[in-house]
Amino acid sequence: MSIDLPDVADTTGQAAALDTQAAVEPKQPSMVLRRFLENRLAILGLLLFLAMTVFCFLGPLVYHTDQIHTRLSEQTLPPGPGHPLGTDQVGYDELGRLMVGGQTSIEIALGAALVAVVLGVVWGTVAGYFGGIIDSFMMRIVDSVMSIPALFLLMFLATMFRPSVLMLILVLGLLAWLAPARLVRGETLSLRSREYVQAVRVMGGRAPRIILRHLVPNVLGTIVVNATFQVADAILAIAAISFLGLGIPPPAANWGGMLSDGLNYTYSGFWWLIYPSGIAIIITVLSFNLIGDGLRDAVGLRAHRRL
Amino acid sequence: MAAMLEISDLVVDIRSGRSTVRAVDGISLTLDPGRTLGLVGESGCGKSTTGLAVLGLLPAGGKVTRGSIRIGGNEIVGLREAEARAIRGRTVGVVFQDPMTALNPTQRIGAQVAEPLLIHGMANRSAAMKQAIDLLGEVGLSRPAAQAERFPHELSGGMRQRVMIALALICGPKLLVADEPTTALDVTTQDQILTLFDSLQQSRDMSILLITHDMGVVAGHTDEVAVMYAGRLAELAATHRLFGGYRHRYTEALLESIPTLDTPRGQRLATIAGLPPNLGGQLAPCRFAPRCAHAEQVCFDMEPQWSEQDEHGYACHLPRRTDADLMTESAGAPS
Amino acid sequence: MIAFLVRRLLQAVAVLFIVTIMVFILIHRLPGGPARAELGVQATPTAIASFNQQHGFDKSLWTQYWTWLSELMRGDLGYSFKENSTVSALLLDRLPKTALLAGVSVLVAVLLAIPLGVVQALRRNTMVDYVFTAVTFVLYSTPSFWLSLILVLVFSVNLGWVPAQAPQGSIGAVLSQPSGLVLPVATIALISVALYSRYMRSSTIDNLTQDYVRTARAKGAATSRILFGHVLRNAISPVLTLLGLSLPFILSGTLITERVFNYPGMGLLFYNAAVTQDYPVLLAVTLIVAVATVAGSVFADICYALLDPRVRYAHA
Repeated sequence: MSIDLPDVADTTGQAAALDTQAAVEPKQPSMVLRRFLENRLAILGLLLFLAMTVFCFLGPLVYHTDQIHTRLSEQTLPPGPGHPLGTDQVGYDELGRLMVGGQTSIEIALGAALVAVVLGVVWGTVAGYFGGIIDSFMMRIVDSVMSIPALFLLMFLATMFRPSVLMLILVLGLLAWLAPARLVRGETLSLRSREYVQAVRVMGGRAPRIILRHLVPNVLGTIVVNATFQVADAILAIAAISFLGLGIPPPAANWGGMLSDGLNYTYSGFWWLIYPSGIAIIITVLSFNLIGDGLRDAVGLRAHRRL
Repeated sequence: MAAMLEISDLVVDIRSGRSTVRAVDGISLTLDPGRTLGLVGESGCGKSTTGLAVLGLLPAGGKVTRGSIRIGGNEIVGLREAEARAIRGRTVGVVFQDPMTALNPTQRIGAQVAEPLLIHGMANRSAAMKQAIDLLGEVGLSRPAAQAERFPHELSGGMRQRVMIALALICGPKLLVADEPTTALDVTTQDQILTLFDSLQQSRDMSILLITHDMGVVAGHTDEVAVMYAGRLAELAATHRLFGGYRHRYTEALLESIPTLDTPRGQRLATIAGLPPNLGGQLAPCRFAPRCAHAEQVCFDMEPQWSEQDEHGYACHLPRRTDADLMTESAGAPS
Repeated sequence: MIAFLVRRLLQAVAVLFIVTIMVFILIHRLPGGPARAELGVQATPTAIASFNQQHGFDKSLWTQYWTWLSELMRGDLGYSFKENSTVSALLLDRLPKTALLAGVSVLVAVLLAIPLGVVQALRRNTMVDYVFTAVTFVLYSTPSFWLSLILVLVFSVNLGWVPAQAPQGSIGAVLSQPSGLVLPVATIALISVALYSRYMRSSTIDNLTQDYVRTARAKGAATSRILFGHVLRNAISPVLTLLGLSLPFILSGTLITERVFNYPGMGLLFYNAAVTQDYPVLLAVTLIVAVATVAGSVFADICYALLDPRVRYAHA
C-alpha cells in the first residue's frame, strides 16, 4: 500500500523524466554565459586571449618594424635600445616578429578549427542521420584516420604539400575533424530516435530540415567547446611541424617557426630567441584551454573531459 | 527508561557558496527503545537532513548550529570525527533510499555487508563473511552464500534493499535510520520491505527512525509520527492519535490529498496549492500560511506557538477542530 | 566477454585494413612517386621507367597494394633503399627502443598522476589544488620540444647532471646508459602527467560524491579505508581506459622527443624517412603505429570491462 503525498520529489521526478529531453534542448544562453563568467579561470583565459590578440594585431600599428628585409649586420643582437627583445639570426626585430608571427599562428589555428568543425559536423550529421551501413562505413573511416597519431599523419601530409598558410589550415583541419564528427554523429543518432523528430517525420517534415532545426541548437555547445580545444591543439601542432622542419618558409613568420629557428642557438646563450616565442605559444594555448574548460563546465558537458 | 534517540532544539545550517540555508530549524523529538518514529514531510522539509545529522553525516557545508542529539543518552553533537566513526555503523545503522547507488557497484555483496564488522573490529575476515551470509539469509535472500558472491547490479531492486538492510544491521545497532527506504521500489516490494522492518525490529529490539514522504507507510508501520514542514516540526503525536485527530492544517492538507476507498467517485482530490517555500528566502511567520486554505491575518503576523496536550503537539494558530472538540463545544454551548 | 572480445577484435582488424588502404594510396601520391624519390630529380625518364618496372610500380595501384599486402602477411615489410636494409630489420632494431621510452614515460607519468589527482580531489578548491591545476594546465599547453629544451638547458647545460644526447646503438647500449634516458622520459612524462592527473582528479571527485561513499561513511569507515577500499578502484578504471586511448598522444610525443634528443627509436626513423621520402619505411612505421593505437583502444575496452563488473556482465 502506498499513498503518495503530493511530494515535490514526484514533480521533480517528472521533470527528470522530461529532463532527458530538456537536456538536449538548447541551454539558456544567458545561463551559460553567467556560469562562464563566474569561472575565474575561464575569465583569465579570456583576458589572456584578448591580450595576445591586441598584442599581435594592434601591436604592429604602434610598434613599427621591418619584417620583410633581412639585416644581416644586425643579427642576433641581445635585447637593448631599439630592440627590446633583440634580433634574430637574420636581423629581424624579435618583438615585432613575435607580433607578426602571432597573427599567422592565430589565423591558422582559427582557420583550422573552423575547417575541422564544418567538416566534422557535416560528416557526423550524415553518418548519424542515415545510420546503418553508411554510418558504420563512415565511422570506420573516422576510426582509421584516428588510429594514426596526428603528428605522424601531419608529417606525412606536410611532405606531400608545400606548406603555406592556406595549406596548413587545410591540413590541420583535415586532421582535427574526427572528434567533432564523432560527437555530432552521436548526437544525431540519439536525436533521430527522439519522439519529436519521429513526429515531425510522420507529419511529413523533411529530413534535412528536422536535422538542422533540432540538431544545430543541441550540439552547438559541444561544438563550440570542441572548437576551442581545436584551436589550442592547432597552435601546438603548428609549432611541432615547424620544429620538424615542415613549417611555412620565411619571410613569413609564425611562433612555431621562430621557436624552432631559435633552437639552433640554444647553446649560444641567445635566450631571447627561445623564451619569448615559447611563452607566447604557452599563453595562447593556455588561454584557449582555459576558455574551453570554462565553456565546457558552463554548458554542462561533464563527459567531455579533456584536462 | 532512557530514550534511544533524543533530539532537542536541533538547528542545522547548510552553506553553499555565499548563501546559508537553515534546513532544520529547532526541532525536538524523542524515540524510545523498540519503537518506530515516522518523520514525514515533503522533499526539502529537512527530514533527511535531520536523519543525516543523527548519523553525523551532514553534506559538505552542513553544520549543527544549535541543539543536541543524544543516542542512548550520549551526546553526539560536537564529537570528534574518530568518535563519531565509532558510533556510525555500530550503534546507528542506516538504510538509504536508492540501494543501486548506495552500494558499491564494483564490490561483491558479501564483502560490503561484512565490512562494518571489520571496520569496528568485531570479527575477523572469515567470521565476518559468515555472519554476513547468515544475515543475508535472515533478511530474506535465498541461497545467501551464493548471493554474497554477486555484484549489486545482478540483484533486483528489492533484493538490493535487503542487502542494504543487512549491511545496516550487521553490527547489531540499537538505532536504525531508514531514509525513504521504499521510495525507489515498486509497490509490492515496498510492502515486503516494510514488513521485514517490522519483524526485524521485534527480533532485534531496536528503534527505527523512518523518514518518508508517504503517509500510507507512516500509518501502517510507525508508533509515532512527526510531521515536518519547511525545517520545522508541524505536528507530533502517537500514530493512532494523529490519524484519529490531526490538528495542524498542513497535516490536514497532506491527508486530504490522499485518495481513500470512500472518496466519492468523480470528486476531485484536494491538492496543496503552490510549492514548499525556498528555505533560503523570506519565510512567513507560519511557514505554511502562504499555501494554507485556512490562513488568516494572524498566520502572517506571528509565529504559531507549540502547544501540547496529552502528548499530542502541534504549532498552528487555527488548528483543525477534531470530533472531540465539536462534541465539547456543542455540550458546552448554552442551549 | 568472449563474444565482446571477438567483436572488438574484428572491428580492430577492419579499421587496420582501411588504414593500410589509406596510407598506401597516400604514399603513392607522393610528388614524383617512389622512383623520383629514390633516383633523384635529375633521373631520366628511361631510368624512372625501368626502376618502376623493376619494382612493379608500373602496375595498377590495386595490384601493387595487393602485392604489398600479401608480402606483409608473410612478414615482409619491404626494403629501404635509403637505409640499405630490410624494413623488418630496421623496425626490429628501433621498435623496442621506442617501446622502452614510451613505456617508462607512461609508467612514471601514471605513478605521479594517480597520487597527484587523488590529493587534488581530496583537497579540492584549496591552494594545493589550485597550484597543481595551474601547473598541469601550463604543462599541457607547452610545446613538448620547448619543454625538452628547457630541461636540457637546466639539467645538462647549467647543472650538468645528465647528458643532453640520448645513448646510441642497440637497445642494450641504451639500457646501459640510463642517465641518457632521463630527459626524454621526463619530457614525455611531464606532458602526459598533466593529462592523467587531471583525469584522475575529476574521476576521484566523481566517485567521492557517489552515494556508495556515503554508505561507507555510514558504516563508520575512515577516510583512508573509503579511499583505498572503495573509491580508488572505481576511480582508476577510467584512467586506465584513458591510458590505452592516449597512446597516439604518447607516440606523437616520442616522435618529437626522439628528434630533440636524437634518440634512435621509431620516431626518429619515421622523421628521417619523411625527410628522405623513404616510402617503405614510412608505410611500415605508420602501420605499426596504427596497430599500436588500435591495440591501445582495445586494451582500454578490455581494462574497462575487467575493472567494472557492470560492463563485464553486460557483454557476457
